[in-house]
Amino acid sequence: MSDTKKPQGAELSEDVVRRVAHLSRLALDDASIERHRGQLVSILGYIDRLRELDTENVDPMAHPLDVVNRLDADEPRACLSNEALMKMAPQAAAPFVRVPKVLGGGEGA
Amino acid sequence: MAEIKSVELKVGLEVHVELATRTKMFTRAPSPAHPDYDDSPPNTLIDPLVLGLPGALPVMNREAVEMSMLVGLALGCEIAEFTKWDRKSYYYPDLPKNYQISQYDLPLCYDGSVYIPLPPTPEEDDEHERHKRIGIIRAHLEEDSGKLLHELPGGHAIDYSVVDFNRAGTPLLEIVTQPDFVNADEVVAFAQFLRNICRFLGVSEGVMQKGHMRFEPNINTIITLDDGHIVKTPIVEIKNLNSFRSLRGAIEYEFKEQPERWKKDGKEMGPGAKSTRGWDDVKLVTLMQREKEDAHDYRYFPDPDLIPVQVSREWKEKVRERLPELPHVRARRYIHDYALHAKEAAALTDEHDVCLFYEETVEAIVQAIPGVLSDRAGRLAANMILQQGAKRANEQAVLVNELGITPGQIAEIVKLREEEKIGSSAADELFGLLCESGGSDGGSALRAESPPADKEDTAQRAVPPMTVEALAEQHNLLQVRDEGQLDAWIDEVLADPANAKTVEDVKGGKTAAIGRLVGGVMKRSGGAADAKAVRERLEEKLGG
Repeated sequence: MSDTKKPQGAELSEDVVRRVAHLSRLALDDASIERHRGQLVSILGYIDRLRELDTENVDPMAHPLDVVNRLDADEPRACLSNEALMKMAPQAAAPFVRVPKVLGGGEGA
Repeated sequence: MAEIKSVELKVGLEVHVELATRTKMFTRAPSPAHPDYDDSPPNTLIDPLVLGLPGALPVMNREAVEMSMLVGLALGCEIAEFTKWDRKSYYYPDLPKNYQISQYDLPLCYDGSVYIPLPPTPEEDDEHERHKRIGIIRAHLEEDSGKLLHELPGGHAIDYSVVDFNRAGTPLLEIVTQPDFVNADEVVAFAQFLRNICRFLGVSEGVMQKGHMRFEPNINTIITLDDGHIVKTPIVEIKNLNSFRSLRGAIEYEFKEQPERWKKDGKEMGPGAKSTRGWDDVKLVTLMQREKEDAHDYRYFPDPDLIPVQVSREWKEKVRERLPELPHVRARRYIHDYALHAKEAAALTDEHDVCLFYEETVEAIVQAIPGVLSDRAGRLAANMILQQGAKRANEQAVLVNELGITPGQIAEIVKLREEEKIGSSAADELFGLLCESGGSDGGSALRAESPPADKEDTAQRAVPPMTVEALAEQHNLLQVRDEGQLDAWIDEVLADPANAKTVEDVKGGKTAAIGRLVGGVMKRSGGAADAKAVRERLEEKLGG
């Protein structure tokens, strides 16, 4: 985190809010864009306050708990049934979960 | 405008390897990358974590972490003492949690390198070994997504998409190389080398058709113009190539196309210029793909549900002890111990299953022939596998170990040959017969030493096991050294008027001509005569 970076809370533009909303798949109308902008500005303003702290000699923390290496043995356990998933799925085409048509791309992690 | 003088290629490779653990990366639902579960029905390898249900918490798979360390060690990487998990957020229907757990800034393995074997250039002799160093930037662990299907099984068209979550959460090791490759051959050689190493390590079956390995080359070209200027074309990343053929095809296509693209649009390498393309396996072209969000839009942050991994010296050393003898080390051993040529050693080690088959054959020969030295056994096994075996494997487009013949049977052939009971062409024929017998017909030519344990098939059990020697005898492949029989054939040949001139030549001192008579006898015997014995008898008879 660069210390020279200006606090950006107050300057958060509507466009940035719209982009974040899009990335979060939230359909926000104009009124709620303004409302969310206000809320985000106050959150970012709080984070800006944290920048005032001197973190020069503080190691980055990966996790608040001081615990490492919680590892499981590689032994299979029971699964959910396909029926259970079919009941939960908003739309099903058994044995699959049905989703709106996706055109190519994005296959695999 | 300046003309293009030359074009160089530059490629870095990302490889995704699905680790063959029994269970998934962060939950103990079985994983489809393990052979026990790879044909599970759709949406059955699922649990609350796989589906991203509220409240489900991840727990790391120790074996996945250790398999990744094994690969890292085999690739000469450093193993991080401290590593953590980050969320990579994006929305896609095959990603149920709306984020992928990955390792962003602290990968488990980093800073490695390997030496890949390259084929000899035409002007070099076959014995020469060529290697190239490929740098490994990092190898980090993450989880795979589910699978989107755009038609139903059986090819039924649908106007929606469907998701199978079986693959979601499978441990995925992403290996990233330095952009050290300058042609498609090198990239494919590395990809095959890596697949072979993963198979030796037992971390993946490496079945390309099942998506166990997927490749994403980052490709650009460096163009030198005739006025001395140098232009770098924008990097193109090709997504999800799942065969060596498409990997090669996509790289060769981009090598050709990028200078053409530059001529049209003038775009050069730089921030924001990188693009993502897919490979069309039918049209053999790369196609522009939907742009994934830029890296900062993935909103990486440490996963609060997972604690870090700390790798102690002891843990790392314990994992190191699991490293098997790797293929290139085996190749060096064959060259040193068995006096094989580099090319032979490479051919015996570049496929995991063939390599083990070779070693079993060496061992079987040592067992079958009392007193044979292991270097001799190594040589004899190599000859059989690289000559009789490779020839048939190529014809049938299978691996030598898939031909049907067993290492024990090869050892028996070698033994008969060493005892001079069969000639070289008989050895070859016997090899062929034994391949057929081990095939799908369940052994028509031979009831092997260990008859099939099929209780139903009483007919098979009724047939007594036949030794390889008995099979050779049945097919008249044993060499005949019986003097009476040899004399009969020899006399026929000597009496043949067509040979009169040759006989005179030999008697007149042209001893080299005797070869033609030996050939005549061999032919008459149907290849069964012992050529050495025939020559000796002929020399006696003709006083040569």
